[in-house]
Amino acid sequence: MRLENVWLRYHRRGPWVLRGIDVRIGPGEVAIVLGRNGVGKSTLLQVAAGVLRPGQGRVSDRPERVGWVPERFPADQPFTVTRYLTGMARVAGLGRAAADEAVASWTDRLGLSAFRSVRLPELSKGTAQKVGLAQAMLRPPGLLVLDEPWEGLDAATRELVPELIAEVLAADGSVLVSDHRGETVRLPAARRWLVADGSLSEETSSTDETIAVVEVAVPAARVAGTVGRLRAEGHQVLRVRSDASTDAVAEPAAGEAR
Amino acid sequence: MSALVRMRLAGFLRTGRAVAPLLAGLITLGTLYGGGRAQPAEAYGVSAVVLFPVLAWQTKILLDVEPDVQRRLAQVTVGVARERLAGLLAAGVAALVTVAVALLFPWLVGGVSGPVDPGDRSIPVGLALGVWAHLLVVPAAVALGALASRASVGGAGFGVAVLALGGVGAVVLGLSGSVAPWLAPPIMAAARTTGGDAAALTLLGLSVWALAWSAAVVGGYLWRRRAQG
Repeated sequence: MRLENVWLRYHRRGPWVLRGIDVRIGPGEVAIVLGRNGVGKSTLLQVAAGVLRPGQGRVSDRPERVGWVPERFPADQPFTVTRYLTGMARVAGLGRAAADEAVASWTDRLGLSAFRSVRLPELSKGTAQKVGLAQAMLRPPGLLVLDEPWEGLDAATRELVPELIAEVLAADGSVLVSDHRGETVRLPAARRWLVADGSLSEETSSTDETIAVVEVAVPAARVAGTVGRLRAEGHQVLRVRSDASTDAVAEPAAGEAR
Repeated sequence: MSALVRMRLAGFLRTGRAVAPLLAGLITLGTLYGGGRAQPAEAYGVSAVVLFPVLAWQTKILLDVEPDVQRRLAQVTVGVARERLAGLLAAGVAALVTVAVALLFPWLVGGVSGPVDPGDRSIPVGLALGVWAHLLVVPAAVALGALASRASVGGAGFGVAVLALGGVGAVVLGLSGSVAPWLAPPIMAAARTTGGDAAALTLLGLSVWALAWSAAVVGGYLWRRRAQG
C-alpha cells in the first residue's frame, strides 16, 4: 500500500494536518507511527484505513480487507458483545456459522468470554477496547491499523497485541500502529514513522542492537523528574508503577524505563 | 450489505428512538382521521403529505443513532458506497413499515368509507392510489432525512433546520400556483391528484418528478458526506 503525496485538512479553510505524505508499506511489514499529541497520527492512520479521504493525493494498493481499531471504541450502542461482534462479522462478509465461530474464538482469546452477554455501554474502557480489537480481527485483515491499541488494556492483553500483529504479518499483511506510551518497544522489527508538522519522516535504525528493559526504582517524589530526564535522553519510558514490590499491579500510565 | 442494513435497523429499534417518530405519525394520523370519514384516495393523499416530515425525521434519527466512529468502522469494512447505500436502505425499510401502519390505520379507526356517489372511485382503486401516494413520499423523505443527518450536516441545529425547511418547503412550494414547484417533491401535487383526476400520464409524471427530486437530494447528501470525510 502506498500513500502518494497525501494532503488532508478537515475544513476547506482550515490548516493542513497532513502535508504531502509519501510513504509505502509492503506485505509483512509493520510501521509504528510516532509523534506528539495532535500532530496527525490518528489522521494518517485513518487515511491509510480508508476512513478519511485525502484532500489531495491518493492511497493506492490498499488491501481489500482492512481492520481498524479506533483510539476509542464506540461503546454507546444497544448491543451485547456477542451480538455486536456477530453483526460485525456478518457485515465483514462471514456466513452465520463462520461468524459464530470467529466470535467465539476471539472472545475467548481476548478474555471477553465473561462479557459476551454484557451490553456495550456497560463495559469498562479496557474491555470495550478489547471488543474494538476483536472486531478488527474477525476476518483476517490484509491491513491492520491500530490507533493506540494498548490504551486501557490489562497487562495480559497488552502482551497479546504483538502476537496479533505477528499473525497478520505472517499472513503477508501489513500493520500500522500508533503509540505514545512506548509500548511499541515490543515490536523491535518495526519501521518507525515520525509525524511532525504534517510531514512524515522515517527514523532509520542506525544499529541492529537488541533492546533491553531496565527497571529503575526512584523515590516517588522524583518520578516526574526522572521520567522527564530519561525521555529527554531518548529512552522510552514504558510504564510507572507505584510500588516495586507489587509487580503485577501496574498503573495504566505507568512503568519501567530502559 | 444486508447485514449492515439489519444491524442499523436493530440499532434503531433497540435504542427506543424509533418510538418518537412512530408516535408522532400515529398522533398526526389520529388527528387526520378523527374528524370524520373520507374516501380512501382522498384520505391517503393527505396522509402521505403529513407523513413526509415524519418519515424524514425518522430517517434522520435512524442514521444519527449510530455513533460516528461505528459508521467509520462500517465504512472500513464494506467500503464507502455500500456504507452509504446501507444507511439509505435501512431508512427506506423503516419508512415502508411506517407507511404500512399509515395505510392500515384508517381502516382500524373507521376513518375511510366506500364510494357514495356513482362517480366515486372503488375502494381498490382508491387503495392503489393511496399506496402510490405513500410510495412517492418514501424516497423523498429518506433523501431529506439523510441530508439532515449528523453525518451530512454535522451539528444538530443544522439538521433540524434542513428538516424544517424541507418539510415546510414541500408544502408551501407545492401549493397550487407556486412559482417554483419543482424545488419541492410533488407530495402536494400527488394529494391533489389522488383527490381529483388521476390520469396515468399524470401519475407517471409525478413519479418521475419525485424520483428525480429524491436523486438530486441524495446527490447532495453524498456530496456532503464526501466533504465531511
